[in-house]
Amino acid sequence: MLWYKSWLETRWRFLIGMALLVCSAGGTVLTYPQVMKLMPLVPSVDVSGELGRRIKEAIDLSREYRGYIWQQCFRQNLVQMWTVFAVLLGTGGLLSRSSGGSPLYTLSLPVSRTRVLGIRAATGLVELFALALVPSLVIPLLSPAVSASYSFADALVHALCLFIAGTAFFSVAFVLSTFFHDLWRPLLLALAVAALFALYEQVFHDTAQGLFTLMTGEKYFRTGNVPWAGLIISAAASTAMIYGASLNISHQDF
Amino acid sequence: MIFRPNPSLGVPIYLQLMEQVKHAIETGALRAGEQLPGIRPLAEELVINPNTVAKAYRELEHEGVIELRHGAGAFVSANAGPKKLTDKLKAGQAIVAAAVERLHARGLSEEEIRRLFEAELAGLTKTGGRSA
Amino acid sequence: MPDPLTIETTDLRKQYGPVEALRGLTLRVPRGSIFGFLGRNGSGKTTTIKILLGMARATAGDARVFGLPTDGDASGVEIRRRTGFVSEDKDLYDYMTAAEIIRFTAAFYPRWRADLERRYAHTFELPLDARIKTLSRGMRTKLALLLALSRGADLLVLDEPTSGLDPAAAEEVLQALVTHVAEGDTTVFFSSHQIAEVEQIADRVAIIDRGRTVVDAALDDMREHYRRIQLVFERDAPEPSFRAPGVERVRRAGRVLTILSSAGAEPILDEARALGPVSVDVVPVTLKDIFLASVAMED
Repeated sequence: MLWYKSWLETRWRFLIGMALLVCSAGGTVLTYPQVMKLMPLVPSVDVSGELGRRIKEAIDLSREYRGYIWQQCFRQNLVQMWTVFAVLLGTGGLLSRSSGGSPLYTLSLPVSRTRVLGIRAATGLVELFALALVPSLVIPLLSPAVSASYSFADALVHALCLFIAGTAFFSVAFVLSTFFHDLWRPLLLALAVAALFALYEQVFHDTAQGLFTLMTGEKYFRTGNVPWAGLIISAAASTAMIYGASLNISHQDF
Repeated sequence: MIFRPNPSLGVPIYLQLMEQVKHAIETGALRAGEQLPGIRPLAEELVINPNTVAKAYRELEHEGVIELRHGAGAFVSANAGPKKLTDKLKAGQAIVAAAVERLHARGLSEEEIRRLFEAELAGLTKTGGRSA
Repeated sequence: MPDPLTIETTDLRKQYGPVEALRGLTLRVPRGSIFGFLGRNGSGKTTTIKILLGMARATAGDARVFGLPTDGDASGVEIRRRTGFVSEDKDLYDYMTAAEIIRFTAAFYPRWRADLERRYAHTFELPLDARIKTLSRGMRTKLALLLALSRGADLLVLDEPTSGLDPAAAEEVLQALVTHVAEGDTTVFFSSHQIAEVEQIADRVAIIDRGRTVVDAALDDMREHYRRIQLVFERDAPEPSFRAPGVERVRRAGRVLTILSSAGAEPILDEARALGPVSVDVVPVTLKDIFLASVAMED
């Protein structure tokens, strides 16, 4: 029943996220023909500096379908939107009265706090995985509609990179939710953390091997090698944070 | 038949219940051998603690006023002796009624009259004038 | 052999930062009794309840329910398996319907009483398909009570069960409680501000003031033995110094000396008369009087 309760509390976030991400992925695929038509019209870019470099890179990548998908979805739209939902799904839970729940009622039930927390975490993670997997699979499924093809293996790997690395943001929101009793502080703080990571990696693009780089699966895209080390570290960090959340909860007074 | 006891009075509820049962027997509202309401239904109707009802019934049984038949319920004793109690109590009741009426006539309130009786009883106890 | 004491706390202490919520609270709640827990706001009632149910941890002292320690993880779960709880705010899951929360809760209690669930749903006239968010306070209280009573629990812990209810609804709640107790071996522990309802259904009463128990007695004992003795003197009342047992409080106001006794009037009347008053009044004391006297500021 705790699974059901966790589902009830997170289902709207999940369903809306799924709708948005699927539409985004599908839209990217379906607009490929338009983009290809525009390609010859784009003159050689002469903007100098970092911005120019980026624009040139984006255009170059988009000449090829695989590059186009990576540049639009896995590097940008999907990752950004998914991160927001990772934070959203990690917020709330046992302490939160914001989702209409009642901490005191839950605490009066014959279940340990660890179990309640664990089930809430698991539910969120399963939903998050689905949010990474399904939109990713839409791409190889829909590509034939625009006379292109995208490998299922690629979609799967990118989905896994996104999920495993990105659980860190879920866990940040999750553990913050055990410190703050309201909805907004953990949410905004976790979003701020995500924004800072993103900014850091943008600025130190060449030297940074950050979280977002892992989530976009850049290494795999460019070299075909899965960034195992980074993924393991990120997964370990997430596990540690969720464990910390469980420790925090078991000693709190309500 | 049994009225709601007053929980705020200085008299325990179980005693009030006992008084009511005895009064019902004296006035004939309850006859010898007749069954009293069960503990659960009575507690539910009066919205009082069932332990209180149980205590009242136990005390009444102890005094021989009622019988508790295992599994069947509470019944008024065949030899509850309503007559015996009635005469003494009826006489006493008349005296009290007269006194209360006179005190009312002097303008004393119920509370004041009650206090006078309490004080008097406390005083009587001291001088050893109270009968068993 | 089940414990004769369902709830037992010894010198319970709880500190929230600089605030001492409980300063050595001792409670003994016998099995099968209806136990009223009175105290002013902020005296520590809800804190005590939270500690008993494992929602908060005591700073010091011992608290046991069914003989099990309240601060253990496994024992806490076991205690809650046998306890029904209604919180002060009657917090439930707003987004569920009444039927959903009943099904949800029933899943946690192997001894769930479906017959009681049906009975109370009927008696309380609960709109089962309504979302809890839309229920009135009275309805929420009744639903919370149904959820607590249908668990097949050995102990009911209720934090101000009738607060915010109109007299008719309050009476329904009390009636459900006494009926429930009459049908089984359930202990009821409830905190309340409504002194009248405590007087109506409780066997025993504890009064808590500033984190400590100041009164712990059977209600019938209080009724039989608590008395107020009022002595009026011709001139200013003398300084009180009674050696008789049971003198709880003595107040001097002009020519009047008022004594609150917990051991009847008789032991004190000797000494009282020796002071030479012009009048002696002995009055029974209500629970409200005892409460107000117990939690009054020290002179």
